[in-house]
Amino acid sequence: MSDSLMHSGWWLWLAFVLAGLATHIPRGSFIVAGSRAKLPAGLQRALRYAPAAALAALVMPDVLLVGGETQLTNPKLLAAIAVFIVATRWQNAWLPFIVGMGVLWSAKYLIT
Amino acid sequence: MNDAFRRGAREGFFHYLPLSIGLIPWALVTGVAMRGAGFSVFEAMGMNIIVFAGTAQLGTLPLIVIGAPMWMILATALALNLRFVIFSAAIAPAFEGVSRWRRIISGYLLTDGVFASCSPRMLASTDKDWRLGFYLAPSVWCWALWQVLTLIGVLGASVLPTNWSLDFMASIALMVLLVPIISSRPMLVAALAAGATAVLLHDLPLKLGLIAAIFVGIGAGFLAERWCTGNMNADAAS
Repeated sequence: MSDSLMHSGWWLWLAFVLAGLATHIPRGSFIVAGSRAKLPAGLQRALRYAPAAALAALVMPDVLLVGGETQLTNPKLLAAIAVFIVATRWQNAWLPFIVGMGVLWSAKYLIT
Repeated sequence: MNDAFRRGAREGFFHYLPLSIGLIPWALVTGVAMRGAGFSVFEAMGMNIIVFAGTAQLGTLPLIVIGAPMWMILATALALNLRFVIFSAAIAPAFEGVSRWRRIISGYLLTDGVFASCSPRMLASTDKDWRLGFYLAPSVWCWALWQVLTLIGVLGASVLPTNWSLDFMASIALMVLLVPIISSRPMLVAALAAGATAVLLHDLPLKLGLIAAIFVGIGAGFLAERWCTGNMNADAAS
C-alpha cells in the first residue's frame, strides 16, 4: 500500500544514489584524499578517541533508556553488565554473545 | 597480492570474524524494513549495494516511503553518516602509499565495526601491504555477509520472529569492541562522556545527539590525556 505513495521507479533509484553519495563521500573523504589533506597533529591525536566515543554513544542509550526514560532495572542493562564482565575477564569472542543474550532472555522472563 | 597482504588478510579476517555476529540482527532488520517499505527484492538489494549502510538505509526509509523531497533524504543521510568523516580521517594514515583506486574501494567498504576493531593495529603497523590486507579481508567479508543476511531479511520478512530481541546482538558487538579500547583512563573518560551525552540528548532529531556525543567524548578524552600525562605519553606512542 505504501507503493502508491512512492513516485515512479527512477525517483526511487535517484533517492538510493543520493543516500549512497551521502554515505560514501564521508567514508572516502580522508581515505581517498590521503596525504594531500593531512590533519594537524593535535587533531590527529584527538581523533584517537573517536572510536571509544562513537561506540559508547551508540551503546549507552540503547542499554539505559526504555521508551525514552532512564531505567536502572531493565533486562538490557543487566545483560550489558554481564557482557562487560565476561568481555573483561575472558578473551573468548563468542562468549559475550551467548552470556549477553542468555541474561537478556532470563531477565525478561523473570521481570515480566 | 604479496605475502604481507595475504598475512594481513588472514589476521584481519580472524580478528573481525567473531564480531561479525553483530551484523546478523542489523542486516535482518534492514531487510525486513525495506520489504515493509514496499520495495521489490531487486529494489531492496539495489539500495543495499548502492548505500551499504544500515543506519542510513533505516534512517531514510521513512522519508522515501512518504515521497519526501530529495534534499531532505540527502540531508538526513549526511547527518547519519557524519561520523564517517571522523573515522575516515582517523584511519587515513593507514592508507598511505595505497593506490587511488584501492583507496576508493576502501572508502566504500568503511564500516563502524571494521574501523573500531581494525584501525588500532593498522595504524601501529609499518607495512602498507599488511595494513591493506588487514583492512580489506574483514571489510569484504562484512560486505558479503551484509548482502546475504539482508537478502534473508527481505525474503523472510513475514516469518522472522520479532520478540527475541535479536537487535540486542548489535549492541553486544559494540560493547565487545568497546571493552579493550577503554583500558586507558582517557579512553574511559571519552567513552563515559560520550555515552552520557548521547543519553541526555537522545531526543534530538536526525541522530544529532550522536554526533554531539562523539565530539564531547573526543574533547573529554583529549582533556583527560592532558591531565594524566607522563605514563600516557608512552601509551600514545605505541
